[in-house]
Amino acid sequence: MRIVKLKKENLFPFLEVISKEADLWAPVKKYEDKHVFKAVEDFSEIDLDYQRTIIPPRRILLPPKTNMFEATQNTYKEDFSNVSKKIIFGIHACDVNALVIMDRFYNFAYDDPYYTRARENTLILGYSCWPDEHCLCKSTNTHIVTEGYDLFFSKLDTHYLVWIGSSQGDDLIRKQPSLFNEDISDKDIQTYLNWQKEREDAFQAEIDFIDMPDLIELKYNDPLWEELGKACLACGSCTNVCPTCNCYNVYDKPILGKNASKIVRCWDACTLENYSEVAGGENFRENRADRLKLWYTHKLQAYISKYGKPACVGCGRCIVSCPVDINVLTVGKTLSGEKVDAFWKRFNLQVKKEVRK
Amino acid sequence: MENSKLKIGIYELTGCAGDALLILDCEKELIDIFNAADIQSFVMAKSDNIEGDLDIALVEGSVTTEKEIEELKDIRQRSKIVVAIGLCATVGGIQARFLDPKEWNERFKKVYGNIEMTHTKPVQSKPIDAYIDVDFYLPGCPIGKEQFLIFFTRILKGNPPEKSQNPVCVTCKYNENDCLLKKGILCLGPLTEDGCGAICINHNLPCAGCWGPLKTGNRTSEYYLLKEKGFDVEHIKKKMANYSGTKIASFLKELEKEKK
Ligand code: SF4
Ligand code: SF4
Ligand code: SF4
Ligand code: SF4
Repeated sequence: MRIVKLKKENLFPFLEVISKEADLWAPVKKYEDKHVFKAVEDFSEIDLDYQRTIIPPRRILLPPKTNMFEATQNTYKEDFSNVSKKIIFGIHACDVNALVIMDRFYNFAYDDPYYTRARENTLILGYSCWPDEHCLCKSTNTHIVTEGYDLFFSKLDTHYLVWIGSSQGDDLIRKQPSLFNEDISDKDIQTYLNWQKEREDAFQAEIDFIDMPDLIELKYNDPLWEELGKACLACGSCTNVCPTCNCYNVYDKPILGKNASKIVRCWDACTLENYSEVAGGENFRENRADRLKLWYTHKLQAYISKYGKPACVGCGRCIVSCPVDINVLTVGKTLSGEKVDAFWKRFNLQVKKEVRK
Repeated sequence: MENSKLKIGIYELTGCAGDALLILDCEKELIDIFNAADIQSFVMAKSDNIEGDLDIALVEGSVTTEKEIEELKDIRQRSKIVVAIGLCATVGGIQARFLDPKEWNERFKKVYGNIEMTHTKPVQSKPIDAYIDVDFYLPGCPIGKEQFLIFFTRILKGNPPEKSQNPVCVTCKYNENDCLLKKGILCLGPLTEDGCGAICINHNLPCAGCWGPLKTGNRTSEYYLLKEKGFDVEHIKKKMANYSGTKIASFLKELEKEKK
């Protein structure tokens, strides 16, 4: 691994050079305080001063709805139109780590060609960030990156330190090496270390993930799950915004006037009712409480047991998205016996009061 | 070849005719629709209609007269599959607001006076499943093109749609919209059937619920949430009832009880 230095004013010239042969995706402002990843041509749209995009960058690799293939009775034609050369620039550490988890998911027993082909053609250019009150990634140890990136940019006062994480990343630098320089001074190193220390201290949200697998096991029949189920709107938002959620549904879209169908793949969410509906109309998880238990078991237990780390990268998206405050922070804290202030809690108290009346 | 096509009838009861119009408005696909099916009856589109046995009847509109009850029962008898299309047929429409029959009678007298209807007797507006068995529901006010074409093609090919539906929030998130409800705006997305493409939220307006109520929507929780956010309870109730027809009657009754 090599670290080089890039002057701030050389960033856009560098992006210019590397985006000649690939689509450049970067964070842009969509609302006053919310950003999204977008394929940009006009670099002035890029806004690196962002917290978290509404939907994580996995949507660039597998969009919410894609056509998988067109089938007739005895032929089928695959559609890989989403596979193209892409560079995602400006991804924060949590999301880089989430993509590492995604790479594993879609490559378990079988390779998922729609994901892996898109992934093989995509370069990941990470970017340093500063936590807000919802960032949990220090607790999940995903606030730093050790793998999964081609380049990673750490912003200092007048320049970036750029970590080269892969040979493809190195190739990008080599497209115009004159933009970079290698003489990183002692002062630069000290500035970086100070910045890192300050950032470590800036995290506000925290939960202890080590205990989570045991707590989920011990509290599997806790009334907590029914309380959550009572308040949950089953809107699926927590799942759709989570960078490590990967479930999808496949359905037929028959073509009128042709004996053929498009086979469409779309994101699915285990928090939605129709997720667990099977042929014949049976549903194995009709109860919202059961569905939430599944989601949290996945995030906080199953993955930890298997890989020694949670399937949560602490991005905080569920925290800013759930209308009734059911999120990894309020659930995690409640599991560890802490008091939390959340709508789902207040709602359950209110309902109990009314029943007593 | 001709007689292997499924026989279809498209009917309109009381409504704005928007759903039938939407089918006609599928201009690009219209030839394919008429080629793929044997459209026996479609008053808005043609005059040589035949009222015989059908494979599939698509029924728009709510039931508001005794004559319509008879018409509907006749359609059911002649059809293997009956599909309710549009908000009026699926839930009763905005005209099904007065749930208490006594209140409805009073309102009726207030508007029309004591006149005697000779043509047919009016009844309180109800969705078509108040009188007949319905096999499938295609909601919307009016129904959406994309959803209609997928549904229609699937049913023609004997591949009927899934039972349970998603809320508007799903497509809203696909479109990467900022959540209005989270920001304190009264959005009915979580309680409303998906299918419109989250079109209102795409334009930064909250969902008013026009695709009709999601059967298993958690109304109680959202009601308390909105109350906590400071909305007037009558306002919340009105908003929730607006496009729900007769389908959330028991929930509204519960709220009445709570008030007392
Ligand atoms: S569980 Fe929540 S905080 Fe964790 S990765 Fe998913 S959305 Fe982010
Ligand atoms: S937990 Fe929250 S975001 Fe997730 S489905 Fe339930 S209400 Fe929606
Ligand atoms: S804006 Fe409305 S429809 Fe969209 S996610 Fe929020 S509640 Fe659901
Ligand atoms: S009111 Fe709701 S269901 Fe109707 S078009 Fe708008 S977003 Fe869609």
